[in-house]
Amino acid sequence: MIYLDHGATSFGKPPAVAEAMLRALQACGNPGRGGHRAAMAAARVAYDCRELAGSLFECLPEQVAFTSSCTHGLNIAICTLVKPGDPVVISGFEHNAVTRPLHGLGAEIRVAGRKLFDPDDTLNCWEDALKKAPKAAVFTHVSNVFGYVLPVEEMAKLCRHYGVPFVIDAAQSAGMLPVSLKKLGADFIAMPGHKGLLGPMGTGLLLCAAQPQPLLRGGTGSESRRQDMPDALPERLEAGTLNIPGIAGLAAGMGYVQTAGTENLLLRAVREQKACAHALSSRGYRVFSGPRQTGTLSFVPREDCEEFAWQLARRDIAVRAGLHCAPLAHESAGTLETGTVRISFGHDASPLQTRKLLAAISNLKPKKYFQ
Amino acid sequence: MKYCLITFRSVTPAQRGERVLRKAGIACTLSRTPKWMEQQGCGYSLRVQTHKAAESAQMLRDEHVEFRKIYLLRENGKGEELSL
Repeated sequence: MIYLDHGATSFGKPPAVAEAMLRALQACGNPGRGGHRAAMAAARVAYDCRELAGSLFECLPEQVAFTSSCTHGLNIAICTLVKPGDPVVISGFEHNAVTRPLHGLGAEIRVAGRKLFDPDDTLNCWEDALKKAPKAAVFTHVSNVFGYVLPVEEMAKLCRHYGVPFVIDAAQSAGMLPVSLKKLGADFIAMPGHKGLLGPMGTGLLLCAAQPQPLLRGGTGSESRRQDMPDALPERLEAGTLNIPGIAGLAAGMGYVQTAGTENLLLRAVREQKACAHALSSRGYRVFSGPRQTGTLSFVPREDCEEFAWQLARRDIAVRAGLHCAPLAHESAGTLETGTVRISFGHDASPLQTRKLLAAISNLKPKKYFQ
Repeated sequence: MKYCLITFRSVTPAQRGERVLRKAGIACTLSRTPKWMEQQGCGYSLRVQTHKAAESAQMLRDEHVEFRKIYLLRENGKGEELSL
């Protein structure tokens, strides 16, 4: 398979991920719930992963809370900072993982910066919106549809300047771009474990600089006589048994990323993305390409985007079509009605993938879709 | 050999304390806290040699690792809280 859907989840994970998961299944008990060998082995797995995440994302191990997904972490962060009716600023490229929790809370959503690959517009609109005293700001580091790298350092700086607490969605950047809780000064940064960090599905991290409100309540293995949740992190956010096999796999994935180097992984993915963008543009497709872009590329085919992707799937090439759970981003780019075909390169990006994709596209036969 | 127990609210700060002390060359053992020492129930402790207790406590404070209390362990299984 030519897998070009790393924006959805990374595929072809390093073998060490599955090996670590198997070891955890065989050796680990319930972390933080006992003093015996199996419980302590599990506690070590969890702590090692926190420590590694702390070194990758510049925070303390205790500030790393395990979640089941980036969406889970975003929900915690948003529910902590936002109350019903609160004005909240978001970028024009947010995923439903941001917009749906805000809608659910009844927040007054203010969208700022909708021009694709235009950091000046993003920043100007962002500052204008922050001047109007929102209660919080939530923004993505990278658009999951277009790969647009938002100017997050400057956006974060503006938030700090105007005293607006903020959350960063690092779903598409963690493992590919530098992400630092310390440098960005965010209240929360949420990320999945299964995308750029190469861990298994069902894992995620929430980096916490502020005191969060728990979304789940229950046993933590600590302070058991209290009937409210512990104040201290990470236990405050970790009611119930942790996904230790998943966390072991996540640590192995992060280890791979750390060894390979995020910059190298990004460079390879961007190189292939640029090659695809150039080739598809020259064939007359409407391609969304810009200077601040990761290995993710969207284009509008002449045919229905889902049919186009299905034709590629029949040739064992995996891309994603449609709205990519981000109607706001499509609205910003003017593709809400058509959707796009998204190609997203990952840690294994190679010229061979690009050649096979482009050859397959050349051979697509219109009018024969879904047959 | 006499030992002290440094108690923590949960396993995570105890683990960070363990890494801090070991990095400094102070031998310690991570284990569950005896029930009578932990008022809130279910905590973890680091066992260190008594003559290293004050140094350990200071090191944990310097690294902002939050611990609860320090107990000197008696041979009869009892413990005495220390102020270090």
